[in-house]
Amino acid sequence: MAELTYREAVAAGMAQEMRRDPNVVFLGEDVAAAGGVFKTTVGLLEEFGPDRVRDTPISEQAILGAAMGAAMTGLRPIAEIMFSDFFAVCWDLVANEMAKSRYMTDGQVTVPVVVRCANGGGVRFGAQHSQSVENWAMAVPGLKVVAPSTPADVIGLLASSVRDDDPVVFFEQKSLYATKGEVPDGEHVVPLGQANIARQGKDATIVALAAMVPRALKAAEILAAEHGIDATVIDPRTLVPLDTRTILEETIRTGRLFTVEENPRLCGWGAEIVSIVSEEAFWDLDGPIVRITTPHIPLPSADALEDLALPSVERIVETIRTSVD
Amino acid sequence: MASKKKAPVKSNTGGRSRANDDIGEDLRRKLYLSQLECRQVEQKAYDLFLQNLIKGTSHLGLGQEAIAAGFATAMKPKDYTFCTYRGHNHTLARGASMEGVLGELMGRECGLLGGKGGSMHLTSVEHGAMGSYAIIGAHLPIAMGAAWSAQYRGTDQVSVCFFGDGTTNIGAFHEALNMSQVWKLPVVFVCENNLYMEYTPISEVTAVEHPAADRASAYGMERIIVDGNDADEVYRTAQTAFARARAGDGPSLIEAMTYRHSGHSRADPATYRPEGELEEWKKRDPLPTYRARLLEFGISEMDIIAIETDVTRRVDAAVETAKASPPPGEDVLMTQMWADGGSAWRN
Amino acid sequence: MNVIMPQLGETVAEGTVSVWHKKVGDTVAENELLFEVSTDKVEVEVPAPASGVITEILIAEGETVDVGTTLAVIADGGNGAADIVAPAAAATASAPIARQSASDGPPLSPAVRKLVAEHGLDPAAISGSGLKGRITKADVLALVETGGGAVLVGNRDPRGQPLSPVVRKLLGAHGLSAADISGSGHNGRIKRGDVMAFVSAHGPAPAPTASKALPAPAKIPAGGQIIPLSKIRKLTGAHMVASKATSPHVLQAVEVDFVRIERARKAHGEAWKAREGFGLTYLPFLARAVCRAIGDFPHINASIDGDNLVVHGRVNLGIAVDLGFEGLMVPVVKDAHTRNVAGLALAIRDLSTRARDGKLTPDDLTEGTYTLSNSGPFGTLITAPVINQPQVAILSTDGVRKKPVVIESEDGDLIGIRPIGVIAQSFDHRAFDGAYSAAFLSRLREIVETTDWSAELS
Repeated sequence: MAELTYREAVAAGMAQEMRRDPNVVFLGEDVAAAGGVFKTTVGLLEEFGPDRVRDTPISEQAILGAAMGAAMTGLRPIAEIMFSDFFAVCWDLVANEMAKSRYMTDGQVTVPVVVRCANGGGVRFGAQHSQSVENWAMAVPGLKVVAPSTPADVIGLLASSVRDDDPVVFFEQKSLYATKGEVPDGEHVVPLGQANIARQGKDATIVALAAMVPRALKAAEILAAEHGIDATVIDPRTLVPLDTRTILEETIRTGRLFTVEENPRLCGWGAEIVSIVSEEAFWDLDGPIVRITTPHIPLPSADALEDLALPSVERIVETIRTSVD
Repeated sequence: MASKKKAPVKSNTGGRSRANDDIGEDLRRKLYLSQLECRQVEQKAYDLFLQNLIKGTSHLGLGQEAIAAGFATAMKPKDYTFCTYRGHNHTLARGASMEGVLGELMGRECGLLGGKGGSMHLTSVEHGAMGSYAIIGAHLPIAMGAAWSAQYRGTDQVSVCFFGDGTTNIGAFHEALNMSQVWKLPVVFVCENNLYMEYTPISEVTAVEHPAADRASAYGMERIIVDGNDADEVYRTAQTAFARARAGDGPSLIEAMTYRHSGHSRADPATYRPEGELEEWKKRDPLPTYRARLLEFGISEMDIIAIETDVTRRVDAAVETAKASPPPGEDVLMTQMWADGGSAWRN
Repeated sequence: MNVIMPQLGETVAEGTVSVWHKKVGDTVAENELLFEVSTDKVEVEVPAPASGVITEILIAEGETVDVGTTLAVIADGGNGAADIVAPAAAATASAPIARQSASDGPPLSPAVRKLVAEHGLDPAAISGSGLKGRITKADVLALVETGGGAVLVGNRDPRGQPLSPVVRKLLGAHGLSAADISGSGHNGRIKRGDVMAFVSAHGPAPAPTASKALPAPAKIPAGGQIIPLSKIRKLTGAHMVASKATSPHVLQAVEVDFVRIERARKAHGEAWKAREGFGLTYLPFLARAVCRAIGDFPHINASIDGDNLVVHGRVNLGIAVDLGFEGLMVPVVKDAHTRNVAGLALAIRDLSTRARDGKLTPDDLTEGTYTLSNSGPFGTLITAPVINQPQVAILSTDGVRKKPVVIESEDGDLIGIRPIGVIAQSFDHRAFDGAYSAAFLSRLREIVETTDWSAELS
């Protein structure tokens, strides 16, 4: 086992796959010579050379178009979109082209592409560089959506994403880049569609994603120690494919469900989970399902304001404490 | 980029005599056959739409056959083509079956895409026809990506990308041209300038006269204009561009002047065209033009009729096959979203 | 339409409104339970005399008024009488959303409702430890675990006497068991005053503790086994004991010729199975015949409440469903009297499938007025079923077999072969006598043997 930061894990995960398969190539803005604006791809140019690790102009549509065209013709490209907010600039390539081509051509076309991005807030970059948009991708049929919360999961899920023959959008949470975690030695692969039960409890179930996972775990500790509420914390890790079975089983066991979501309120990823649970586990609920999310506003830049907007440990504890009897 | 000498404008000159014939009889028969197949299938599509056997919409390429045929004939089987929703000609010209094309337009099981894609997304990967794309400009960078893949893998494949005059004003056009040139990719961008961006004359919405050719220099490319209704000229232009690409000299941008006989789509009666314009262009209809050329080159009327009769027979058979094919059933609705053939998003 | 205080007995001059089941603004259907009245002798549930919206409630719970006093006003649906005041549309932007349910007390969560239905519990008798006195899933589970004293089947105490809603509420609120309280009402019925007297004298019962002594473990017989009784078996058993203790059971039976039903099954069975995916059994035909016979003998479809026979207007037919020898459930076909054979077949199929899949809702298991128990598939001769309280009778249908019978004809008596089965009714002798029950059974047989069942199905 080694201890890596989340950002180091990105480079490690990419390197693991690029060593294994010569068809894996990588392109993006400032990714090669500079090692990425978040220093997530340091060392890749040196190891794999300029044919496999390429810097591009500021051309998001061209970056994703090139990745898709290459994926359709034998390569397995990884493309980087620097900030996930920028998906809005090239969303056609993601939602209309990559996602739909296989279905429209009845399986003639395969698009084994991975689009990585830095997602989410908490780093005071302002509204256009801080939104969590994994729910945008979840809403598009034909995309797989991955959002790891630990360095080990970064490597394992990136490996599965690269090996997957379908288009995968890989959301790295920028506020987690500096966090550390244990990473197993050797090749590490985590299958898509498997949630991780980060904490086992019995009084309530909390489903949290990415940067909200450590906050939910902290809140669960406080709820257990100070309020006698022993909560399960589930990290779905992938939104599509979604491990509904684990979420349903745990919710049926505990009778209560809460989600903790960094995305803005409306149509966040938790809304779909709430819908599934209220339909399929209705008779096992001992109280209403509650979503804990960022309010429905663009994220402010001042640190004091941003911290009020994103779900804090205090807000998570308070919401659950007053709801569970 | 040292001196930027403006390249001579290519037009449909070149003597028509056996003496300077670089194309030859066989190739000419192929070029005629290809155009004829496109024309007759497209006319059938028009008829079937009026009979309500084709639903939704169709963007017909009547009048633009020479471009599809000229380029396809110059290509190798392993080259890639990407085209727009006005892509029936291009898909047929690469070798896709007529019943596959017509069946897809009619939403039947025998369609190229099993009825899942429709007129605007005709694809035949086995023939290198890597898709018809309905979002303006999207496929230019995708075509560039296929060229990148060929370059990376070290093959001599070329990626050819067809689009209309309207596409030259959208962002993806500029991104793709710039990046293809910077990376020196083996991609050929072909602008079929039929003078109209949907219902509006292209000149009214473009800052330059030739929407593609006059922008080539912005991307360090040669200014190339060709008579898109002369299959021989198109063929020669294509050959030159492909040779460049295969030699590793990078992308080309070609503007082919042409005209469409029908409206933008089936819903468009094209009343925005000035009177007489259509008639003028029909005098330069690629099919009769090329037929006359065949005769000029000594191919007999009987031979030509034989070709035409055979095409008509095959087109009619294809229509019958497509009509007899059933619509796709519920069993295919949820299939082929993922590479495993399914569409499951949860356990 | 005005709702007035009913006269509950010849010499009774007044009554007390004990419980309102609806509030102003609620919609009520004709014959739906609207309120309850108590006198010193009896507590009665009173159905709404008409359908409509409750526009006024003039007499509050606990108030005593003379017989004939207007208690409430119902606005007829679609019929705007001049003296009806339109409900004050006090719906301002800030008014809270009106709720469907008018029941008092804290809401029951889906998990609680499911557990309550599964274990046949009465939520009014469970005390809640949750927010604002809410009954939590844990509260119900704790009760079930300890075999809780306040657990009841239906609205009866262990002696089979009815418990009014106000008494049930008081028992629940004070954590008491009806078994501990002696009743001073008619037939030993527990009244409100009895509960309050008990509370003043003893205080509320302590919460059930885990230190309750466990019975000594039984010795395992040689070659045998000890099988602990499941919860559902214990509860069913308690219901059966209570029923026998309450109702003097009498068994009567008739032998019935099923030939006409058989003919209809033969004629329509295949098409039915192809269309619906399951076979057409005798049961829906019998259910239909029972509903029609009840039409002629309405007292069969009733309950005893104190000194009264409450004759129900609807036939809500309970169908006993065996859950793979693991227990018994009796889901109810509501308004069975309004359905034909096909409708009954579909309804019975739906309920038994859901019963076996564990997907019945509390609504499926309540408000039954008569029960059918079918042992036919096992080929039994006759069964003496136990009455499903608070009903007054239950029917058992057993095996149908080909038997030689005497057929009377113009040419004299002949021997023929007919499908014959025994239909038996257990009835509560407090409700009516043997002659009434016999007449009902005779009518039932007549319906089965003379109806053109094929015509009913086409």
